[in-house]
Order: sequence, then structure tokens, then C-alpha cells
Amino acid sequence: MSVIKLTGGRVIDPANGINDQVRDIYVKDGRIVAALADGDKVSAEYNVSGRVVMSGAIDMHTHIGGGKVNIAREMLPEDHRGDPVARTEITRSSCGYCAPGTLAAGYRYAEMGYTSCFEPAIIPMNARQAHMEMGDTPIIDTGGYAMLGSDDFLLRMLVANEDQKSINDYVAWILHSTQTLGIKVVNPGGISAFKFNQRKLDLDEQNAYYGVTPRRIIQTLTRAVHELGVPHPLHVHASNLGVAGNVDTTLATMEAAEGRPIHMTHIQFHSYGTEGDRKFSSGAARIAEAINRHKNVSADVGQVLFGQTVTASGDNMSQYRNAAFASPKKSAVMDIEMEAGCGVVPFKYKDQNFVNALQWAIGLEIFLMVDDPWRIFLTTDHPNGAPFTTYPHLIKLLTDRSFRNAMLDTINPDAKAMSNLAALEREYSLYEIAIMTRAAPARILGLTDRGHLAPGAAADIVVYTENADRERMFEKPDLVFKDGELVVRDGKVVKVVRGNTHVVKPEFDRGIEKKIEPYFRRFHSVRMNNFKISDDELCECGGGSKLIPHACGKRS
Amino acid sequence: MTNEASSTVVTEVACPFCGLACDDLSVDTAGEALAVVGGGCAKAQAGFARLGVSHDGASARVGGQPASLEAACAEVARRVKASAQPVFAGMALDVGGMREVMELADAAGGVVDHLYSEIGWRSTRVVQDVGYVTTTLAEVKNRADLIVLVGTDVVSKASRFFERYVWNDEAMFEPAPAARRIVYLGGGLNTAAGQSPDGRAPEVFDFDRARMPEALSTLNALLAKQPVSEAAPLGIELARWQALADALRAAKYSVLVWIAGDFEPSQVDLNINAIMSAVRTLNVSTRSNGLGLGGADGELNASMVHAWQTGYPMRTSFASGIPLYDPVHNGAARLVEQGETDTVVWISALNDKTPPPPEAKVVIAPPTLKLEHEPEVFIPVSTPGVHHVGHFFRGDKGAALPLRALRATRLPSAAKVAAAITAQLKEVSA
Repeated sequence: MSVIKLTGGRVIDPANGINDQVRDIYVKDGRIVAALADGDKVSAEYNVSGRVVMSGAIDMHTHIGGGKVNIAREMLPEDHRGDPVARTEITRSSCGYCAPGTLAAGYRYAEMGYTSCFEPAIIPMNARQAHMEMGDTPIIDTGGYAMLGSDDFLLRMLVANEDQKSINDYVAWILHSTQTLGIKVVNPGGISAFKFNQRKLDLDEQNAYYGVTPRRIIQTLTRAVHELGVPHPLHVHASNLGVAGNVDTTLATMEAAEGRPIHMTHIQFHSYGTEGDRKFSSGAARIAEAINRHKNVSADVGQVLFGQTVTASGDNMSQYRNAAFASPKKSAVMDIEMEAGCGVVPFKYKDQNFVNALQWAIGLEIFLMVDDPWRIFLTTDHPNGAPFTTYPHLIKLLTDRSFRNAMLDTINPDAKAMSNLAALEREYSLYEIAIMTRAAPARILGLTDRGHLAPGAAADIVVYTENADRERMFEKPDLVFKDGELVVRDGKVVKVVRGNTHVVKPEFDRGIEKKIEPYFRRFHSVRMNNFKISDDELCECGGGSKLIPHACGKRS
Repeated sequence: MTNEASSTVVTEVACPFCGLACDDLSVDTAGEALAVVGGGCAKAQAGFARLGVSHDGASARVGGQPASLEAACAEVARRVKASAQPVFAGMALDVGGMREVMELADAAGGVVDHLYSEIGWRSTRVVQDVGYVTTTLAEVKNRADLIVLVGTDVVSKASRFFERYVWNDEAMFEPAPAARRIVYLGGGLNTAAGQSPDGRAPEVFDFDRARMPEALSTLNALLAKQPVSEAAPLGIELARWQALADALRAAKYSVLVWIAGDFEPSQVDLNINAIMSAVRTLNVSTRSNGLGLGGADGELNASMVHAWQTGYPMRTSFASGIPLYDPVHNGAARLVEQGETDTVVWISALNDKTPPPPEAKVVIAPPTLKLEHEPEVFIPVSTPGVHHVGHFFRGDKGAALPLRALRATRLPSAAKVAAAITAQLKEVSA
């Protein structure tokens, strides 16, 4: 039995309403406990008085595993050379800046105080690979969202006007079969439309073959996810990614949810107007106003930060278009298995480029104009806006207005003139940062035992020395505990553990397999039984990861 | 669906003996050897029969003498530890085997090289230079209207390609599979499988395949509407080339198929680049995709795991403590030839036919592997998909198939052996 005591820390635990209170924390066998029982002996005590204590951070949208990420790795040896991770007695060697190896990604996330990360775009047929890669990502917990909406099975169900219950059964079957935590839709119906040579698909435009609109897909899937009681709302990468004027599509997509929970992902890339000489402007004010008004809507930002990165997306329709802007000049675009696709395009965001500079400002405007930190999440859509290692810098931009304005003075002056960023006075507090990086992601994903420090929670705990320079503070925590094990000290990995895999298992009627099995036999490349990932197989893919199923409260 | 009533037949088995990884096999486990009784092909039948035995009596050997597994692993660890530059070659493994070999290679400061890397690194160079536009097998099965086989018949390496993905009974979209148009670029290919079920012969551009770069240049020029001065490029009248270009432009979902291993090695990246150029030109107005097949002997298991763990493709050296990628320098054959390695460890659980190089002092392979001479250490291992579960990446990168355990054996898996050597290595170091 292991008993740990963290003594005298300044605890910031928004899930439990605790804001900077001095408290002792006890950990017994990997879990937080209220107090020690008679006979418990503290095996390790850490004096953390004066230091800031939070739960482990959670990245709810980061591309860390799966086919497209691995294409990015293979594509960019030039990215990796400058960022090696050396082998030590306890860690293995790896490398990569914007497309790091799984080993490098796991170590670096842990060293920044992150203890759970979620891959947002798992193509169902690629779920094994995604879980294998996440299984080789050390220390952190993982999980992912399965991509639907351009899969021919669902589109055929919509054409056949199958009832919502059948669709719910299919969605639940996908969650079980792919061992995922949520459902993602990417350019709804658009990936399928691209296979029929359509090059854009607006919310109310029909797929050339199926006649189905993105709006109908959003309506159907938000309802399915909601009725199945999956904690995480439908995770939506909206239509018209990156296109000037797409703010209208994005606002209409929120409305298409008809009041049901909907999560709009990397919303910065979907918040562009068409004003000004260059017909490219910020739609942040309209987006923030809509989020503030619609309590059913949440969003992660997908902040752009300047420098070299690579964009990796399931949205091959958009990525084929974006390949024209690749830097360096190369790209990979794939159609995949009657389910989806992917596109990998390296990209360099330049602070003197008008569009890139305005993208940077738009992301920050959204962060600062959305009132409720429980519904706006800190992401760069790693690696699409910037690698996750830039998070401490992003936190400084949000918490320090003078720093932000100093940066604003250095960007493309026309972009600066088009942004109201200078007028935004808000500075995020540590409490709000803890909400958006811990408490809120745990809540929106249904991770009841993560993202907080109450008794019963998993002991994923981070200790920081407070520093007025928030970038310095957040890039190098003093201590990181994962399930009660000290894994990082002074920003360096001191112990490598294996994280858990988070999934949901909503109730459904297995009878749906009577429809799915012949579909696989007739049209797919594998048999249905070889598509499904069992619990045992998942643990093998994950290299022995523990499976943590989260409850679903069925609503229909 | 064969013999499902018989309890000794396992159905929907995935096959690890070529890059197609067909998963519709029925395998009878009743006999001494495994028998493919449904689905499958000659390669699958031979593979399951040859490797699908229990290998009773096979034991590890050190210096030609029987040794315990533990002693053999300790001896490998000792040799790897003493080596200035160990090379881990072969790598016909499942995902699990490769995962463990990667840990070993990193701890040992070695280099990892798959038996097809000499071709593979040139393929990878295309994605590093220009990238690609590609598709996967289920898309081909349902959408392809024009399939151009570039310098390959596919079936010599992946025999069920046409059966499973081209001449299907039905497809989700137009055209009906039987109406698909098949074109072979290059002579000397087995084009029988390209004949449609209703007897329509495929079109063949018959020329010396070593001249593929010229053929693709001609096609690219015509697709780009550039003039071609020759009346009959490669001895084939220009009008036929023009007709092919026009057909590609008119097709709704053309697919250009290649197998890198069927190209002249020095032309691999040149040819794939040229295919990609054609595909990119076509995608301006219609849809067209490349389809690179391959993946036999766990080629993709090795390349995928290597890339995701380290960030780099294979032919990366771990000697300095950080990964250093140099696909020319770190080729196993080159390191051997130049005397830059003193220890070659051959690891292969799926392939018992390719002989290890004579320099391989350590061989970790199925006991059915015929050795021309006795290595200093031999460790027999079981085979994934035959003796133990595992995962296998299909050659199109479209899927990773789960492999079954069909035959009991006392032999360890390659993963277990690699992990044991790593553990010993760390003990030696400590």
C-alpha cells in the first residue's frame, strides 16, 4: 500500500469550488482520500507549501495517434532533426517538434503537467492503429472520438429514412466496436462528397450522390449522441474549414443542433468574415456572442501560434484545397475505406502574413470574448494551429494583457488594425486556466474521476511554483503525479508508467449487427468481426493499458 | 463459409502471408498442420501448412548446441552489448514483435532494417519530397471505374487482388464491377487476372518495364496537354497513349496501382513521383488516386511502428542515444558490405524462406527456416496469426487486421524473445 501526503499546497480545484485554499492532500493507492485511516502510514510526504496544486491537465483535442499523424511523421524528417529526445536510464529515444513520435509526445505532455489526452479523429477502420499509437504514448491516459458523417453506412441509412433508434444503435455499435469516448463529425458529408468530385459542401448543400445535407447529418448525430447519453456532445468540425466567410456556416451549424448539446471544435478556423480590402476578417465577436447565448454550445479554439507546423485532418476536401499553401511544398491526401479520408499539409504560420496574423488574433479574441470558461477549451488543435508544447506560451497570452499587446504590436499591421484584440482587457486567472484545462474538459467528457482533487478522484496531480511569468510556470511543473505515482520532478520524467484508455459503452440493441454484417460482407474490405475491437484486444493494442468505461445515461 | 459445421474449422481468419491480409479464410485446425479450407490462395495454404505445426522439439542453440531460451537470450544480450554497431535485420514481424524489437534496438544503440527497406526507403522519399494522393482497397472495390496497373500484375505478389477488390459481384456505385476498365502499363506481366468475368480482355501497353520513366513521362505530357514529338513512344502509337490520357480524364474514379518492389530499384521514387504527378493533374478536374500495394512480410508493421515510436522511418541509428535518420547510410546490406557492423541479428517470425545474410551471427526465426550454416545463436520462435494473436497492417495502409492463435506451441513469440534480450541487456548494463 502506498500513501502519499502533499502538505500545505495552495489548491486550485474549480470542480469543487476551491480557489487557492491551503490544504493537505492524501493519496492512497492511486486515489485521493479525505483523510488517513487508522494504521495508514505515509510512505512519502511532499512539502508543497506556498506552491500551486492542480489536478493533471487534460487535452480534449490533440492529434496524437492514428494514420494521418503517422503520415506526418514520415513526411517530415526535417521537422524532427532539431528536436531529439535522448535515451536515458528510464526513457527511450524519440524525436519530433510538430509531428513527434509517440514516446516524445507522452514524455513532453507529462513534463507539462498533462495527464490525459484525447485523439479527436479516429477513422473507425483505423481505430486499432490509433489505439496502438496511443498505447505507445507513455504516462498519459488516452481515448478518442470515432469519425462518422461521411461513412457510407450512415449516409445509406439516412437515404433509406431509417428511424432514429436504428441510427442510435449504429452509433453505439461504432463506439463499442472502436473503443472510443465520443463521436466526431468532420466536414459533415463533405469527405464523401469529395469522393464524388464535389469541392465544397455548404450546410444546406446536397451530397451529389446521396442528396443528404450536412445539416441533416448534424441533426441526426447530435440527437443520437444525446439520446444514447454519451457524456461528450457531438464533436463537430464544421463545413468550410478555413474559408473566408465561414462564420455564417459555423453559426448556422450551431443552430442545426436545435438546442441539443454540440461541441464546435477548432472554432478559430471557422470564424472568418469577408470584410476589408482583402475580404478576410474576424468573425470572433459573432461567434463569441453566439456561444455566450447558446448554453448548449461549447468550443475549443484551435489557436494558431507562429512558426512551422503540420496540419493533419480528416477533412480531405479542405486539405486538398489547402495543399496549395503547403510549406514546405508537399502534401498527402487520402480517401479511406468508405468511411472517411485524411489530408496532411505542412504549414508555416508567419506573423507578418496578413491572414496568419489575423488567425492568431481571431483565436485570442474568441478566448477573451467567450464569458464562460467551462465552455471554451484551450487547444491549438495540435499540431494544426501549433504543437501542444506551445500551451504555456498560449496561457501567458491569455493571462497577461501587456504581454499580449506587446505581441500584437509585432504582427502584420493590417491584421492588427482589423482586430479588436488591443481593446480586450480580460486576463484569465489561474482559477479560470484550471477550469479550461482541467475541470471543464473532464466534465464535458464525462471523466468523473479526473480533472479534480476531491476524495475518490484519481491522483493525477500537478504542483507548480507560482511565477508571474505564466509561460515559465506552466512549462515546467515541480511535481507531476499520475495515478499516485511521481512521474515528473522539476519538469523531467523520473518514472514511466502506462496510462489508461477511456471509453464509453452506451446501451444498444445488438440486433443492428444483422444489418451491419451483410454490409461488410458485400462492400467492405474486412469482415465485421475483424473490424470490431474487443476489450481484450484493446488492452493488447494499448500495450496493456487499463480500460476505463464511463457511464452513459440513456435519454430515449 | 466452408465446413462451418465442423468445430475444428475457424472462420474469418486473417492471413499474414502477403500484404493483402485477406480476412475471409477458413482454416481447419484438426490435422497436424493447419489447412486452409476456404478463401485463401496458394501462398496462404503453403504458409499455414508449413508454419502451422506445433514445432515440437525445436530448441534454441548456442554454438550449435541445444541451450535454454534464457541462456540463448543472455548470449544475444552479451553479443549486442559488446557490439560497436548492432544491426537488427529481417523484421518480418507483427506489430507486437516490432514494438519489442524497437525497445531492444534503442537500448542496444542499433539500427533496424526490414528486408524490403532497400525499396521501402525510396517509396518513403516520395512522401518526403512531394507527398501523395491515394486511396484504399474498400474504395477501389466500390468506386474504381478505370484501373491502371503500372509495371505490375499485382497478383504475383498479392494473388487475390482482382477476386476481392475488382471483379466483385456488386459495388455500391457505378459502374458495375464487370464493366471496369483494366489497363496494364508494361510488358511481360501476367495479365490473365485482368480479364473481366464476361471475357473482356484488359488493355496492355507492351514495353520494356525498365523504360517505365519514359512511359510515365509520355502520359504526364499528354495529361498536361503538352506536345509529344515521337510518333510511337516505346513502340506504341501515340494515339493509344492519347486514348489512355483521355480515358483517365473522363474517368470518375481512376486508380493507378503500383507495387514498389516491382519497379527497378533505382527507379522506385522516380516512377511513384511520376504517378503522383499524373494523379495530381487529373484531380484538378476529376477524381483519381494512387494505390501503392506491398506490405508482405510485415513490411508496414515494421515501418509504421518505427515511425510512430521514434518519429522517423526505418534506417535510423540509435547509436548516439538519439535517433538519427539516414536511409542510405543505415541500410543493413551496406553496413555489412562496408564492414561497419560487427553483429547482425536476424529476426523474422513470418518469413521462413528468405535466408539471413551469412554475416548474421544471431538468427531468431521459425524452426522451419533452412539455414545454410549454423549461426552462433539460433532461437526458434512462433509465428503471429498461426501460434499467437497479433496485428498486421495491410499494404494499402487502410486497415490493421487482428491475427488469430490457431495452433498451440511451446515456442516463444519474437516479441517475448526481444523483451527477454532487452531485459538481459539492461541487467548486463546495470
